[in-house]
Amino acid sequence: MLVDWFRIKGRSLHSLAFSFHRLTGIVLMIYLILHLTYLTSLRFGKESYEYLISLTVRPETLPFDLLLLLATVFHGVNGIRLVIHELGFVYEKRNLILYLTFGIVLIVWLYAGYLMFLLIMG
Amino acid sequence: MEVEIKVRRFNGEKSYWQKYRVPVLSGMTVLDALLYIKENIDATLSFRYSCRMGVCGSCAVKINNKPRLACETQILQLKDVQIEPINNFRVIKDLITDFDDFFAKHRIVKPYLIRKNDSYEKPVEMIQTPKQLKKYYRYSLCIKCGACNSVCPVSSTRDDYLGPAIMTTVYRFMTDNRDEGKDERFKIVSSERGVWRCHFASECSEVCPKNVEPAKAVQKLRIKSIIYEIKKFFK
Amino acid sequence: MKVQHDIVIVGGGLAGLRAAIASAERSRKLEIAIISKTYPIRCHSVCAEGGTAAVLREGDSFDLHAWDTIKGSDFLADQDAVEFFVKEIPSEILRLDNWGCPWSRTKDGRIAQRAFGGQSFNRTVFAADRTGFHEVHTLYERTLMYPNIIRYDEYFLTNLIIEDNEIRGVTAIELKSGDLILFEAKAVILATGGAGRLYGFTTYSHQVTGDGMAIAYRAGIPLKDMEFFQFHPTGLVPSGILMTEACRGEGGYLRNKYGERFMEKYAPEMMELAPRDVVSRAMWREIVEGRGIESEHGAYIALDLTHLGEERIDERLPLIRDAAKKFAGIDPVEEPIPVRPVAHYTMGGIHTNINTETQVRGLYAAGEVACVSIHGANRLGSNSTAECLVFGRVAGERAADYALKKEFRHVKSESFKKEEKKIFDDFLKKSGDENPYEIKKELTKVMDDNFWIFRNGEDMKEGVKKIRELKERYKNVEIVDKSRRFNTDLINTMEIGFMLDVAEVVAIGALMRKESRGSHYRLDYPERDDKNWLKHTLVYYNENGPIVKYIPVKITKWMPVERKY
Repeated sequence: MLVDWFRIKGRSLHSLAFSFHRLTGIVLMIYLILHLTYLTSLRFGKESYEYLISLTVRPETLPFDLLLLLATVFHGVNGIRLVIHELGFVYEKRNLILYLTFGIVLIVWLYAGYLMFLLIMG
Repeated sequence: MEVEIKVRRFNGEKSYWQKYRVPVLSGMTVLDALLYIKENIDATLSFRYSCRMGVCGSCAVKINNKPRLACETQILQLKDVQIEPINNFRVIKDLITDFDDFFAKHRIVKPYLIRKNDSYEKPVEMIQTPKQLKKYYRYSLCIKCGACNSVCPVSSTRDDYLGPAIMTTVYRFMTDNRDEGKDERFKIVSSERGVWRCHFASECSEVCPKNVEPAKAVQKLRIKSIIYEIKKFFK
Repeated sequence: MKVQHDIVIVGGGLAGLRAAIASAERSRKLEIAIISKTYPIRCHSVCAEGGTAAVLREGDSFDLHAWDTIKGSDFLADQDAVEFFVKEIPSEILRLDNWGCPWSRTKDGRIAQRAFGGQSFNRTVFAADRTGFHEVHTLYERTLMYPNIIRYDEYFLTNLIIEDNEIRGVTAIELKSGDLILFEAKAVILATGGAGRLYGFTTYSHQVTGDGMAIAYRAGIPLKDMEFFQFHPTGLVPSGILMTEACRGEGGYLRNKYGERFMEKYAPEMMELAPRDVVSRAMWREIVEGRGIESEHGAYIALDLTHLGEERIDERLPLIRDAAKKFAGIDPVEEPIPVRPVAHYTMGGIHTNINTETQVRGLYAAGEVACVSIHGANRLGSNSTAECLVFGRVAGERAADYALKKEFRHVKSESFKKEEKKIFDDFLKKSGDENPYEIKKELTKVMDDNFWIFRNGEDMKEGVKKIRELKERYKNVEIVDKSRRFNTDLINTMEIGFMLDVAEVVAIGALMRKESRGSHYRLDYPERDDKNWLKHTLVYYNENGPIVKYIPVKITKWMPVERKY
């Protein structure tokens, strides 16, 4: 069952990372569809695109943007971690690398979030 | 001292929680407690058990949300005790789950030495240095209790996935220097239902009661599969 | 429901699996079914730890191994069987090697051997201290290779069907559905293991309840030498988990509360590596005479491995270290392990000849359930797994040869219906006021108290009386779980019925044998008496109580002498 992807009770951080990876994957997929919709709207003229942008790119939606950013950063960094492991490397250090991954995600997210904040809030 | 034990029951139709109070002594395991319930309180409670020393693999159950061997879990080290059947296996009755499919998959992967000059009548002593033995020995310690499969998120959504325990067995034979059947097994594990489905949640290694490290075995098997596929491509 | 197979093997442990492979190798045309109470890799054979004895290297000889075995058996073993047995083991070891068993190795990659009790040569082949585990897995995985081996996992044997002194099949309950299934067969091999759960303090798995023995016994087949029950010197206190003899084989010491290696008093030459009956008796004497170490779980003896060092323990005895930590909270690298003699092996069993044939045509028995006899009054460590391999193979081959010549004869449907009615209508639905588990508890107490290492006539008479009372009470048991699906309550209650029968045979045999031999030690008859008692006990079933007969021991070249270690 699909809910089993998100079963974390009684499990280790590794399972949490897996669940989060799946979740962010789904979120990013939805975002990708939205993104393509936006781009497609250009075919109907510049106005419709700018209208859509004005709906979403504004201070009120900043929290969502930040969450989306977190999803992107986590999925990316964790993805690299998985590639390394799945090629059979550094299995023994998997706990350390997992903590490191969470750390890097946090730092990258905070810094990028700060930049984004500056950009939007001007 | 008394401990309250909550057990997930299933009688073929409905599933429910039941509570029992069990007197505990030092050294008592969860299996001892279950046996106490069966013999003194409720004889209908059903569960599997056998060796009570952690080698037969019968008694894997979910204790406080974590799959463990009931016989190896000291009850006094737990605060509350909550026992359920392990996930990803169909429940037959109470804590007893269906392992037929699991063992059927075990058969598929040819878990035995494949040798060209295998003679039943005239066996010979083969040479295997302690170093060669050590390469696969850890993976031969799997007791097939199903704990790893029960936490594998891929096993939970794909019935055809071989699962960590079975792939560990494959890796065990693939790294045995006496074996000559690697190509046959690659055909099975380098597939949709094999190594390519693993997404390294690595929870299997976290719960393995024998520290067999199934997650490691699967990743190593994946690398071997990659090399096999590349070689096949250029052939 | 009815199914038909050429050969039905009951029991999925070492002997059963080995027999299946032997039959399948004999002919690919034969259909072979393995019925087992648990999945085969959950069998009790996986608990075997120390190793398997085999003559492999120069300096050792078949005669030496045979002599060790016979002397260990206190001269009750049939010597023709022993001679055959020792010659057959080496190829079994190599077969397991060829099939993938991870035997421990010497530096140059050859199969390593270690010292074991009562063996005058280091001839025990091993796979760390998980020998049985690896052997079972290797054999089990090998059976997966043969398309003509069909498994019935979690089927509980209820009866043998014998007509005209010829086997016709067996009946078994499919646990998952709760239905009784009729297995028609040309030949049947019983490989159901021992009866160790008769005792409360025991190394056995919970399921070793002597089912096969009791069923064969009730069908009129005699049980041989059942009074000889092996007590292993080192069972972990308090759980009884086996601490392998390899602990001493690798150099461990036994110490009493003064720290003395007391074995020098009892077996000055072989010390801790004397046969199990000798060491167990010595330990028990230390405990009885107050030189044991007191604890809340009773007095115990210290098994000291601390001088072996961490590296050696981790390499050779990893499971022991793990078990001691998990079940007694003790790390053997730092502290001695608390141990006490513990019920460990059923030397007796279904009476078979050297070809594993019973008196019923087409019915074979192999492994611990059978008594060929190669163990006599006391089995040597690492000969049991060897017996399963050798006689499992013999049984498989003999059964295959028999089945190839034979035609199927159908079982009358009445006998099946009768069995079905007996179990599900009469037994399961019956009401009563006895709790079967209470009876079991009392039975194991009687066995622990009255038929332990030191026995005497008065206690045993009392014990027999109690067992008979329990048998009476058993008629009045009630099974609480009335459902059909996976009814473990029904199975357990049936097992307890089997145990009572087997216990009675053990008790009667022990009471009647007025001497001390091997594991059977009587305080009122402390000497071996070759003049009157160099013979096997056979116990036959009879509704009014067992009938005891005796048959002579086969002696080829070794005459009984005084047994000193």
